[in-house]
Amino acid sequence: MTTTVPFKEGLIEEVSGKWALVGCRCKQCGKIIYPCREVCLHCLGRDMEKLNLSRQGELYSFTIVHMPSEHFEPPYAIGWVELPEGIKIFSQIRGWQEHSLEIGMDMELAVEKLWDEEGKEIIGYIFRPSAVEQKDVKQ
Amino acid sequence: MREVAIIGVGSTVFGKLPEKTPDELGGEAALAALTDAGVAPKDIQFGYCANLYGGMVIGQAVLREAGVTDIELTNVENACTGGATALRKAWWDIASGLYDIGIAIGVESMTTSPIAGKLITPAKGDITGELGMNMVARFALTQRRYMHMFNISLEQIAKVSVKNHHHGCLNPYSQYKKELTIEEIINSKPICEPITLLQCCPATDGAAAVVLASGDLAKKYTSQPVIIAASSLKSGDYSFLWEDMTFSDMTYKCTNEAYEMAGLGPEDVDVCELHDAFAVNELQHYVELGFCQRGEEIRLLEDGVTEIGGKLPVNTSGGLLSKGHPISASGVAQIAELVWQLRGQADQRQVTNAKVGLAHVIGGEVTGLESGAVSVHILKK
Repeated sequence: MTTTVPFKEGLIEEVSGKWALVGCRCKQCGKIIYPCREVCLHCLGRDMEKLNLSRQGELYSFTIVHMPSEHFEPPYAIGWVELPEGIKIFSQIRGWQEHSLEIGMDMELAVEKLWDEEGKEIIGYIFRPSAVEQKDVKQ
Repeated sequence: MREVAIIGVGSTVFGKLPEKTPDELGGEAALAALTDAGVAPKDIQFGYCANLYGGMVIGQAVLREAGVTDIELTNVENACTGGATALRKAWWDIASGLYDIGIAIGVESMTTSPIAGKLITPAKGDITGELGMNMVARFALTQRRYMHMFNISLEQIAKVSVKNHHHGCLNPYSQYKKELTIEEIINSKPICEPITLLQCCPATDGAAAVVLASGDLAKKYTSQPVIIAASSLKSGDYSFLWEDMTFSDMTYKCTNEAYEMAGLGPEDVDVCELHDAFAVNELQHYVELGFCQRGEEIRLLEDGVTEIGGKLPVNTSGGLLSKGHPISASGVAQIAELVWQLRGQADQRQVTNAKVGLAHVIGGEVTGLESGAVSVHILKK
């Protein structure tokens, strides 16, 4: 079986069978940041509370990229998704061929294979239109 | 703080110049600026040289080509804001009284750089980079949001490129001297939708240089000194504080600092060179630079206010879109254009009776920040 490895540690976690983005709330100033850090960049508070962010958000903006990239064959879509917590997450956007993208549309988090590297499947978070069927990878 | 004047400017022609080394490009611009100023190389007391890709101590190699040696010389890097940073540091060294006369240079050779023709790979651990972000995509995301929020069409954005390419046709230093139509721009190759190729600035080789002197000393060299009325430079703030990605907070703040320092306002600006790396940027910067209220920027463009012959011509040089964008040179090249305008030496591009010029550059992608650095300079006769 192929080993799956997150593209960077600490960004996502599985909670009762569902993936979530791992953010933090600063207990001193209330700022929510993603990804999590030990120190709040807003007030330098050190009392950070782990917080699983909403799996749903709205598409703030998107682009279809036609340039080559290290990991993705063009064309591919990327965008910012605004979560109810008031923060914007930069993400790969999938499902755009099946469902044309529009600003403001409902988006849903999924965790999928991003690319292959040295025989491993590198996984990470993506968003796709809520109207498109989700297919999370299981770790 | 002492008054500082620009007494000489010089530039290479911009373009694809793979046969020239960065030293040669920079040396050519430096010699042109020294000649323009009528200053002997041995009279230069200090210098700053901005460069990104040319390697270590490039300023020394550049000034070796222009007879300037044995001085305090500092190399600076600040991405697209590098040239403006060199100018600001040179301004301060004279304003503070440390030196009386010096030179600021910006030089870049993109075609001979280590990244030429290569895929730019993100740094390991750069989350957005690893997920497929790049410089064009960053502005494509902004542009899509901007078009959506303010009901702006791609045709309207393309008009910026039409205008600046028209200006470029009038500038002998410009990389491109070709009129473009809206259709050509929109139908050019998609890069990151909705940005197409002809909405982007090209990769460019080139250099520009500026000789500065204290207000008193300037009078010895020229009857037409151009005064640096304001110099402002800022780093970007956190992305999580950046509420509206269609408005550059850092440009707005930096510009206001500059106006305050100059004791001038946007209504006083006669000619402007701003950072049009992508066509959409110019429209957004009209608002941040205070030239109009939000929602009025299209009118400014479509009414011809910002073209040569209008009330506030913007990017008379052709801007980054047409004149080209040799990264670290752009901030200095903008100053050269404004100085020519204020002296009345801009030939076919001349803005009638220009007294105040504003230059703005911004750049350098840093994950987690709005952008790397922004700079605004205000020049006056």
